Amino acid sequence: MVAVLPKVETMVAVLYFGLFAMSFDFISGYTGYLSFGHAAFYGAGAYFVVLASNGKIPLVATDTSFVVLLALAGLVAVVLALLIGAVSFRLSGVYFAMITLGFSQVLYVFVRGWDYAASNPRDGPAVLERTDPFSVGVPGVDSLNLAIGQLAGDSVEGLLGVLNFGTTEVSYYMIGLVVLVCYFAMQRIIHSPFGRVLVAIRENEERAEAVGYNTFWYKLGAFAVSAFFAAVAGGLFAGFQRSVSPENTFYFLVTGDALLASIIGGFGTLAGPLYGWLFDESVTEFLSKTGEGGGLLPYLREHLGEATMTTELYNGLTVGQTIDTFLNGHAELYVGVIFVLFVLFVPNGLLGTVRDRLGGPVGEQVAARLRGDEE
Amino acid sequence: MTGFESTLANLVVMAGFADALGQFLRPENLAAVLVDGLAKAGLYVMIASGLTLIFGLMGVLNFAHGSMTMIGAYLGGLIMVGLVGGSTGFGANLLFFFVALAATFALLAGLGGVVEVGLIRQLYDRPPVYQILLTFGLTLILDEIVRIVVLFYGMQPTSDWQAALGTKPAALAESVDLGIVSVSGLSLFEIAFGTATVAGLWAFLTKTRYGMIIRAGSEDAEMTEALGIDVRRVFTVVFALGAGVAGAAGTLLMWDPAWGASVPLAADTLLPAFVVVIIGGLGTFRGTVVAAVIVGMTDATMTWWFVNEIEFAGLPEMTIFLILVVMLVLRPQGLFGVEEVGGH
Repeated sequence: MVAVLPKVETMVAVLYFGLFAMSFDFISGYTGYLSFGHAAFYGAGAYFVVLASNGKIPLVATDTSFVVLLALAGLVAVVLALLIGAVSFRLSGVYFAMITLGFSQVLYVFVRGWDYAASNPRDGPAVLERTDPFSVGVPGVDSLNLAIGQLAGDSVEGLLGVLNFGTTEVSYYMIGLVVLVCYFAMQRIIHSPFGRVLVAIRENEERAEAVGYNTFWYKLGAFAVSAFFAAVAGGLFAGFQRSVSPENTFYFLVTGDALLASIIGGFGTLAGPLYGWLFDESVTEFLSKTGEGGGLLPYLREHLGEATMTTELYNGLTVGQTIDTFLNGHAELYVGVIFVLFVLFVPNGLLGTVRDRLGGPVGEQVAARLRGDEE
Repeated sequence: MTGFESTLANLVVMAGFADALGQFLRPENLAAVLVDGLAKAGLYVMIASGLTLIFGLMGVLNFAHGSMTMIGAYLGGLIMVGLVGGSTGFGANLLFFFVALAATFALLAGLGGVVEVGLIRQLYDRPPVYQILLTFGLTLILDEIVRIVVLFYGMQPTSDWQAALGTKPAALAESVDLGIVSVSGLSLFEIAFGTATVAGLWAFLTKTRYGMIIRAGSEDAEMTEALGIDVRRVFTVVFALGAGVAGAAGTLLMWDPAWGASVPLAADTLLPAFVVVIIGGLGTFRGTVVAAVIVGMTDATMTWWFVNEIEFAGLPEMTIFLILVVMLVLRPQGLFGVEEVGGH
């Protein structure tokens, strides 16, 4: 039974990348403007944290508290978003997607060749100067901080007498805390009058303008907010991994992953992308080579038996080799198939479909049923 | 540093730049860059024209275009490796190349037709963003299938598939003396090939009846339908044609040592193809040709500056994306684009 649940390492990645996917959904799912260069903000946040920790950002000390670094990274992304957005929001549709993609690729190519960031910029920088770990908590109060990171993080023993957590579990809860706060902040904004205008823009921009809203400023504002949280997500990623590369931050396929998560989870449902990415990572882990938390490959190897595994299928190809060939590390294929099936048959995604069935947000509907409210 | 010293330093920098500019402007260097730029333009027009054909008629931005180019590179390479047994002459190798090209074109066109009928046709009633999403998902699937096949047959120990590169006739690898400058035979071949493709597609679109139907369909799909033409079937044909051209582009890229057949080729060609079609104006064939020349020339020029003067590896690529951004700011519809294209 335990085997079905993803590993904690996977769940940490689900959290920070899920936050990035949510920030992508915040702008693309709610205003309808496909921000295809959103990785620029994720990358900016991740690089900011690593560069600041290496003393390469002027005026920012290497031992600055991690939470402060995250906020600063977010502000850098806000400035970047205002610059990019001011130009990009003159366009719409495919053209908007393309110009944001263009901006992010300019940054990607620049960072890949920028030897100030790392001695080998193609591989990206790692945290070298800073020896103390990144801690999530109240800045300046040591007892209210817990360090994150796979190797450098804190572990907790004997909490409330019985609970013990290893470094990864601590990272999971502390990163989860930041993601939760960010999620509530974004949800608050979506449900404010400001957020209603965003939905109005998505549904009919001309009408929103006719009603008297200056949609340009609303879109730009939403873009900046979204960039802030994307950078926080990038910063969490950098803080946990302690190294970044252009490929896993600024590259356009990183945005593609967020898009994947949003479509599978539900476009325009803020929480959906987190579930989408959880789904995606679960599939990936289920099909992965080692599959320490279970997985299909070890299961098949164990249960098919030696005779079946060595049975020849075709031209010297055994069943075992076939399984290796089609499963080993090729989760991307199945994720792609699932994605296409979702686009074709489940356009509202996981959460959107559940909401459609229930007739509203899951929490509200469940509460209403429990109370026994009439329809 | 005193004011005088900094002025002096600036002067030294400027003198260095002026010197470099002088170098760049020498006839032999300019000629080399010109030939290189045209060769690159030949490649760019190959990888972009299929994309612009599909968008022009159907309004579908095909994200899987790069993957189709990549599959074309492998298929073309495979056929070449199969055909070119021992050492054959220039003429025979070139003949085999065109056989491989035709076969790749046909196979990819078949794939394109299947994709249009099986997948994209389901989505015409939905907002256009869903077509982008679907073709994006398709790239994931296609790339991974190719990766499985490549790994399975152990085709690729290195990133560039050397076996395919090796089928290039020796004459194309050698330099050809053109008076003031000597250029590689491959560059001349790419220029000729690109020009021939442009001429062929142009003739197909303007001189044949089917080309006329395609142009009519992209101008006004409803009116064309009213005239008794099955626009849906034209969509299928155009998608197949676009995929076929992508495959042909891949076959050409397979020979070029700067590209070669590899799985990342899908993303590496997709983004320049986007840049070219957007600079030219989405869906205009003429714009795509002009934009390919602009991008090719810029690429060649910046490559020269990178090789000789400026130590920044990303210079050519970054400049290409900067052109995209500047173009979208100044003239979003592109050089020859109209405000709205595509429709169904």
